[in-house]
Amino acid sequence: MATVEKPRAAAESFIRPDGKEKVTGIGRYTADLTLTGQIYAKFKYSDHAHARVTRIDVSKARALPGVFAVLTHEDVPEVKYGGMVQDRYLFAKDKVRWEGDIIAGVAALTEEIAEQAVSLIEVDYEPLPVVRDFVEALAEDAPLVHEDWETDSGDEEMGRLRNRVGYSTIVKGDADAAMASADVVVKSRYVTDCAQGVPIEPRAVIAQWTGDKVTIWSSTQVPYAARSGVATVLQIPESHVRIIVPLLGGGFGAKCDFHFEGHVAALARAAKRPVKLVFSRREEFVAVDHRREGMVIELETGARKDGTLVARRGRLFLDKGAYCGEGGFFAQMAAMHACGPYVIENINIESSLVYTNNQPSSSIRAPTAPQVCWAVEQHMDELARALDMDPVELRRRTLIEEGSEGPTRQIFDKIGMKETLERAVEMIGYGKELPEDEAIGVACGWWPCFGAQAGAYVKLNNDGTGSIITGAQENGTGAVMALPVLVAEQLGMKPEDFSILYQDTDAAPWDMGSCGSQTTFNSGRAAVEAAIEVRKQLLQAAAEQLEVSPDDLELVDGAARVKGAPEKSVTIAELAGSGTTFHGAGSGEVPEAPACDAEGCVGRLGLESFLAPQLITHAAHVKVDRETGVVRVLRFAAAHDSGKILNPIGANGQVYGGVVMGIGQALTEHTLFDENARQLNPHLLDYKLVTASDAPQIEIAWVETETPNAGPKGAKGVGEPPCVATSAAIANAVTKVIGRPVRHLPMTAERVWAASQGVDL
Amino acid sequence: MSRTFVNAASVEEAVKAMSTGARPVAGGTDLVVGARQGKAPLPEAIVAIHAIDALRGITGSGGGIRLGALATHAEIVAHPVIRERFTALADASAIVGSHATRSHGTIGGNVMNASPAMETGGPLVCFGAVATLQSASGSREVAVADLWSGPGQTTAEPGELLTAIDIPAPPAGAGSCYARLEYRRQMEIAVVGATAVVALENGTVSDARIAITALAPTIHRVAAAEEALVGTDGGRAAAEAAAQAAAEAAAPISDVRASADYRRAMAAVITRRAIAAAVARARGESVPVPASPALFGAI
Repeated sequence: MATVEKPRAAAESFIRPDGKEKVTGIGRYTADLTLTGQIYAKFKYSDHAHARVTRIDVSKARALPGVFAVLTHEDVPEVKYGGMVQDRYLFAKDKVRWEGDIIAGVAALTEEIAEQAVSLIEVDYEPLPVVRDFVEALAEDAPLVHEDWETDSGDEEMGRLRNRVGYSTIVKGDADAAMASADVVVKSRYVTDCAQGVPIEPRAVIAQWTGDKVTIWSSTQVPYAARSGVATVLQIPESHVRIIVPLLGGGFGAKCDFHFEGHVAALARAAKRPVKLVFSRREEFVAVDHRREGMVIELETGARKDGTLVARRGRLFLDKGAYCGEGGFFAQMAAMHACGPYVIENINIESSLVYTNNQPSSSIRAPTAPQVCWAVEQHMDELARALDMDPVELRRRTLIEEGSEGPTRQIFDKIGMKETLERAVEMIGYGKELPEDEAIGVACGWWPCFGAQAGAYVKLNNDGTGSIITGAQENGTGAVMALPVLVAEQLGMKPEDFSILYQDTDAAPWDMGSCGSQTTFNSGRAAVEAAIEVRKQLLQAAAEQLEVSPDDLELVDGAARVKGAPEKSVTIAELAGSGTTFHGAGSGEVPEAPACDAEGCVGRLGLESFLAPQLITHAAHVKVDRETGVVRVLRFAAAHDSGKILNPIGANGQVYGGVVMGIGQALTEHTLFDENARQLNPHLLDYKLVTASDAPQIEIAWVETETPNAGPKGAKGVGEPPCVATSAAIANAVTKVIGRPVRHLPMTAERVWAASQGVDL
Repeated sequence: MSRTFVNAASVEEAVKAMSTGARPVAGGTDLVVGARQGKAPLPEAIVAIHAIDALRGITGSGGGIRLGALATHAEIVAHPVIRERFTALADASAIVGSHATRSHGTIGGNVMNASPAMETGGPLVCFGAVATLQSASGSREVAVADLWSGPGQTTAEPGELLTAIDIPAPPAGAGSCYARLEYRRQMEIAVVGATAVVALENGTVSDARIAITALAPTIHRVAAAEEALVGTDGGRAAAEAAAQAAAEAAAPISDVRASADYRRAMAAVITRRAIAAAVARARGESVPVPASPALFGAI
């Protein structure tokens, strides 16, 4: 008897086109490319975290045989750049502000010669006091990281003042009065260390000039931001810069923003050769201006006996590091997460983003959310204990639902927040008997969708296949790889009929890049619009050929056929090969964030209301080795409302990866610094990612809420939320076992061990 | 800058290259990773020893066992005699680095790298292992315990190549265990480690060897801990007392992996667990290899 394999649903069986080349090793990443005549770049980094530069002498480096170019600030236009505040130069000029500041770049025949040339560069410094503590840095007499902060241009709303680069408040009602009238008040303080994105592929950039135009191959998540960055720092037209991204080996946000393309392009122009830069793992830790920021989070919540949250006050301090970059919105984003997906009657949150001489922090997967959620959700469990109420019951009573009012009086559309809670506690088996060194913790969180411009072209080829030309960037999530599913559906074709031309700024319209979980949300919409245009053209051509009205036709199985009379049809291949061209362009209407009343709030950068919020409940079943403090996550349940799920394999993959990343952030991952703000563990043995062997069994539920004002078919984002509530769920489980919260993230074995003995480390 | 690389076909060829300053490389799991990490640059002259057949293999002799310098951790873990009679060594080799490290990393390289956190060190010392060092002018034997002089330092001369490690038969009625404090299950290195080799005679501990790892500049045995255990029933109280003695002998440092205080406290916990597992094995009870994951949360 033959076994018949059950055919999988189309979406389940979708195999991403870039998968095979990646897993078989034939895929080409930037570092795999070699251009004729290519030479190698190395950087001279600062020897101090904070110092005046009094002399730079590159003469010995330039004289070394095999060296083609040595560049400092004197050799490039004097331009300050930066995403939200223009506060930095390409090469450090009169001051260095962190250990990764680049003083000079070298291009040489071999990497060894380039390294030797770097060692021949002489720099004199006048060391300045190192600003490490991001709370003390707010003091009026604290040394300034940027003395000229007042003349640096930047977003007006940021509220910059001395070392404070961003300031944001959420104010609703009268929190002070409401707090005074609350039945129960709980106060907590939490501290988080900084962490890294750690893509497996270290950054690589190759630049090649042809006349006055430059082509740059770069491992970036944001090719269009890179193009504009190069144009700015070299003072050339954007149209003279073409960014191509070969396969990208992971980003996690760490490859957002404009980074090193400018340095390499400048070196290639000076050397008159293609120049290649490939980071070592150490540089991938120390030199990248992109990490998850450290925070101090102070929270106070007042509740009535029935759990109603009458007031929340909070003060948040975020370590921005030496430069602002694209992460200037962090103060406001953190403030929104300090409220969380709860109904709170009165709110007063104050959030400060602070310059220090630490490594710059910028977007890492759901920037600011995992740390703040970790604090807020432990705080909620503390409140539940004070109310003598089960923490899940407290959440049942206080989470947002359709019609609820948000922190800025945004009224929520249909959302599945409470459903995620019920699904997660059901999957994990909340409430069942466990050994005394095991417990289950539950945490809730949220994350907005980002509406942005996007554009795509869809064209049919003569053989009846199609091509999608998109500005979207694939960073490994599969979001771009799934665009053919959406397009094929419009055209009655198969996803595998489509090739994708992507990651080339000369080919496609502008895109925000692989960030903010926005690719499906915005590029999906654009691709569908472009496909609809092609659909119209196909129906028109078929109508003429079949002598019927286009309205009577449908596109099914690669053919245009008359509804109800499938024998009367013409294949799409025939139409495409007939000499007519079929091509469409689309962008679609960008969904706008809902109305809110943020009158009392300052530092409004557009995050005061959350567009199509993605909603999260995570539940962790952990075991604590109580003698050592080592925590293992045994089982995990993740319930998400990300709206309609378009590609279950891809969406599940995001949750598996995000939960495992979140476990690392919860327990073992942090960058440690010495007193001079130098990293102590910039390598993979002591920056401890969790491994496949540490991964728990992860169960996933999608609460597919029909979401108005969302992406294609009501889809929301998927990529970032799995990181948000993971450390919080683990924390609440650990607290149950040891009887006390661990107030410092990551909750390392030593910190858990100390906390279990009543000591906060 | 030029670098030389010789692929030696015999021990003679290898020690000849070493006599003129070449440094040996076998699996490369310390040398290459260390260079990439900026710990130490790759040596100017390198002699590859991975193709020397005479350095391979694990062979039994008179109840003892001989490990060729090129024996990999994967081979050690898979060896039935080691699993049964030198179980602590199997515990250790089974958790060195990652699968890739274990299939390429060799016992010779592991020993000569002289890390005070190396997993196999404690078991080798407790089992009384002896290293054979060969140079162009002859060979000599050194107890592994006397080979290490500090973190990353050995008493071997620059021209000496470790060719084999001989481990004598363990005491009759012995069970053994190596356990470590680990923050994750793969790609890990001991934060604190402990080895116990315990022999039972009619239910009484007749011989005990206890060593501590990552708790001093070199891995070493702790006589006071061993004395505390001999003559007892090897039960909870005795293991606790011996573990306490081991912790008192520790001279831990504070670094990115742990503070000295935490390491000292964990020395007592991990040593007690290693003793308990060694005693269990001596009694014929089953404790899986490797022991460390099995001892997670053990009371």
